[in-house]
Amino acid sequence: MRQKGTIGWLKHDITHRGVTAWALSAALFAFYVILYWTDWLDPVAQALHLGSKWTLYGLLYTIAITAGGIYVMRKYRHNKYQIVRTTVIIFVQATLAFSVPLILKFFNQPEVYLSYLWPLKIEYFYPSTIASWPLPFIIWSIAGSLLMVPLLATFFGKRWYCSWVCGCGGLANTAGDPFRQLSNKSSAAWKFEQYSIHITMLLSFVVTAAVVASFFIGDSSPMLQSAAGEMQSAYGFVVVAILSGIVGVGVYPIGGTRVWCRYFCPMAAVLGLVQKKGKYRITVKDNMCISCGLCSKYCEMGIDVRAYAQRNEDFTRASCVGCGLCEEVCPRGVLHLENSDKPRSGPQPLTIDALVDESWKDRHVSPHAEEKQESVISVNWN
Amino acid sequence: MHFVIIGNGVAGIEAAFAIRDRLGPGEAKITVISDETDYFFSRTALMYAYMDKLDRRDLEPYERKVYAQKQIELVRGRVVDLDAAEASLRLQDGSTVAYDRLLLAVGAKPRMVPFAGLDEVEEGLVHFVSMQDLDECERLTWSTERAVVVGGGLIGVELVESLTHHGVEVTFLVREPWFWPAALGKEEAEIVAEHIREHGVDLRMEEEMSEIQVDDAGRVSGVRTNLGDEIPCQMLGVAIGVQANVEWLQGVSTPPAINRGVMVDRSFRTTLPNVWAAGDCVEVDVGRRPGLVETIWYSAKRHGKLAGLSMAGERVEYHPPLFYNSTKFFELEFTTVGDCVDVADGATTLFRKMPGKPISQRIVANERGEVIGFNMLGSRFDHRVLEQWIHDRRDLAWVQRHLQEAQFDVEFGRVPLSKMVEKEIA
Ligand SMILES: Cc1cc2nc3c(=O)[nH]c(=O)nc-3n(C[C@H](O)[C@H](O)[C@H](O)COP(=O)(O)OP(=O)(O)OC[C@H]3O[C@@H](n4cnc5c(N)ncnc54)[C@H](O)[C@@H]3O)c2cc1C
Ligand code: SF4
Ligand code: SF4
Ligand code: SF4
Repeated sequence: MRQKGTIGWLKHDITHRGVTAWALSAALFAFYVILYWTDWLDPVAQALHLGSKWTLYGLLYTIAITAGGIYVMRKYRHNKYQIVRTTVIIFVQATLAFSVPLILKFFNQPEVYLSYLWPLKIEYFYPSTIASWPLPFIIWSIAGSLLMVPLLATFFGKRWYCSWVCGCGGLANTAGDPFRQLSNKSSAAWKFEQYSIHITMLLSFVVTAAVVASFFIGDSSPMLQSAAGEMQSAYGFVVVAILSGIVGVGVYPIGGTRVWCRYFCPMAAVLGLVQKKGKYRITVKDNMCISCGLCSKYCEMGIDVRAYAQRNEDFTRASCVGCGLCEEVCPRGVLHLENSDKPRSGPQPLTIDALVDESWKDRHVSPHAEEKQESVISVNWN
Repeated sequence: MHFVIIGNGVAGIEAAFAIRDRLGPGEAKITVISDETDYFFSRTALMYAYMDKLDRRDLEPYERKVYAQKQIELVRGRVVDLDAAEASLRLQDGSTVAYDRLLLAVGAKPRMVPFAGLDEVEEGLVHFVSMQDLDECERLTWSTERAVVVGGGLIGVELVESLTHHGVEVTFLVREPWFWPAALGKEEAEIVAEHIREHGVDLRMEEEMSEIQVDDAGRVSGVRTNLGDEIPCQMLGVAIGVQANVEWLQGVSTPPAINRGVMVDRSFRTTLPNVWAAGDCVEVDVGRRPGLVETIWYSAKRHGKLAGLSMAGERVEYHPPLFYNSTKFFELEFTTVGDCVDVADGATTLFRKMPGKPISQRIVANERGEVIGFNMLGSRFDHRVLEQWIHDRRDLAWVQRHLQEAQFDVEFGRVPLSKMVEKEIA
């Protein structure tokens, strides 16, 4: 039930796909269309001495993450994981994703965003982009994408990037927090995601390969060159501009915060494959879940966490970004994010047999315990 | 064979799933009847719907298509008669349902006592147990500035928290000298009481409602307490416990044996042929009187699974596991394992408290020094580890040294156990 008063109405309406949510979504879409395909924002940027509209956008983005981050840190103030994580998000955004490129530009260096890596930033593997870069940046970018990302993901899961570093995730987890519950939890959405995300991943690989090949052997094969050029611009338009830009943020108020991250991000697909084999997992305290559903509701990746929790199954889902919000909202402290080598416990369908065995086992519980139980529970537990 | 289950709560649904786990659709037709909702929902999450954290649909633990996939038929209706000789049920709409095997998983009802003035009440008195109670609470909240909640149990606190969330001023009347003595020691009860008060709740200990007052329309307008105080209010929440929903069963054609709940043996069979019972509505015969009545989620889930297996022909013998449970008072989390209060003479209690924070641990050992119970407040512990220690009969000193192995706090958020101040309570 929503709270009384106008504020109560607004809060409910905007977080429950009401008219204000649709209006906000439309406004965000309009903003991105203007940003990508007009130069209306350039005069604004110049009036603010920011140079280009992209710097203005960067500034707005950083403000959104900082303000949203402060809101989130207040909201989850008793949860150290959220505080540490959000601090890092704000820090990375303010430095690597905003000031460092600005400073580089000021010193007439290429504007490199060190916190973004291929394949999320697909052009960072395009020879034409990195040709002008100083060598350390090239090494950072290539070693970062091919070694650091998978290696760290093996030990800490996808979260080290998606919930600590990446700006897209950063916005989702700060300014986007009021909308995280809107993600689709159906098993149909899960199925769709498994296709869509791997298709985009393959596309990003193919496009990168084509562009690289055309750079080196394009002169001898004009057909490859024109095909690669077309692929590059089609990918740039559909995946980068439409899906990651416009749709990614535009649907926050109606589809939740991580639509791009969940269904399309090629980086997420790679990290997810690594994560499944790595040490990261969510541990479930057996038989403590009350099936309330708060964990599933507030999972921005639409993972039905409750389905695992209520059958005592420790799990690692490829899409889980390790935001830790399921762990935070669980009123019974059932869930725990961890990096662990311990064997996982299996799902309940197996334990139905265990339950029968258990019911036969001499459970050296004193009769005192049974008596006790009765007096505690039947009289006063509820 | 037709398996009929009355009640689509956790016990009923778990039983249906367990039957289906053992018997395919060709062997078992399964029908679940409930008068409350079309689909199974999590009763424990009612407060989160009230607080706008969840929508109604979020309360359902399974996707709706699961029932079709498992071929479990859901029927909405109230059962009014049970005739075991004919093996048939009669519903309120007059229809009859024949069964081969029947499960009564009819849950519990709010307990009520004849308060003075109760007869006059037309509106404004609420319980907080069923979906219909939630509807009623929501309807009344809009016209409520002040509310009184009586009963110092968990449903009471949940109702208080929900009302507070809506800006309603709440007076919380608790009869006992400290909060929830059934599970909390005096020390943690004080921490909890202070926490509840910090949320603006007028919590009053050792004060009871003695009379309900109503306005001309019959709506609750205030209560009088045993201390003579009059508290004006537009809503009155009564949460003084629940009791097995067996009243209606006493009047059916063939009632099963009933004590405080439907009497069942350790395989959940009632005294009627081909009739089982499970969950909040049963009293399990554990070889002494009175039997075991458990009205908690975990037990109902376990009962349901085992009863389902028993109905499917499996040999089952229920022995309740070591007691554990957890709850949350506003932001304060609480986990209990084993025995912590009213323990036998000769027990020692170690109480650990974090200075300045609402974090505490109570560890109780019996006269032989073996640990028998834990009360963990304000930080997360893994009850599985604590249970294991009780089974292993670890002594107090050992547990004290190893306590950090059972911590379950979030990463970076581990409570520094070494900073806690300890005292022994005889
Ligand atoms: C607000 C609240 C919070 C709680 N929180 C916790 C908690 O945190 N932890 C915990 O362990 N436990 C908690 N409990 C207790 C827990 O919810 C119950 O123990 C559990 O739901 C019992 O399940 P059940 O299947 O036995 O019965 P129920 O869930 O009560 O299901 C019984 C069903 O049978 C239906 N029924 C009854 N009679 C008939 C009839 N004649 N015809 C048709 N249908 C009928 C009822 O309408 C109901 O739908 C809480 C309870 C409440 C009310
Ligand atoms: S899924 Fe992709 S866009 Fe989203 S946080 Fe991860 S890397 Fe960034
Ligand atoms: S499962 Fe939990 S940690 Fe993973 S994305 Fe969902 S809410 Fe975040
Ligand atoms: S939030 Fe916790 S108790 Fe609720 S369904 Fe999820 S794991 Fe279970």
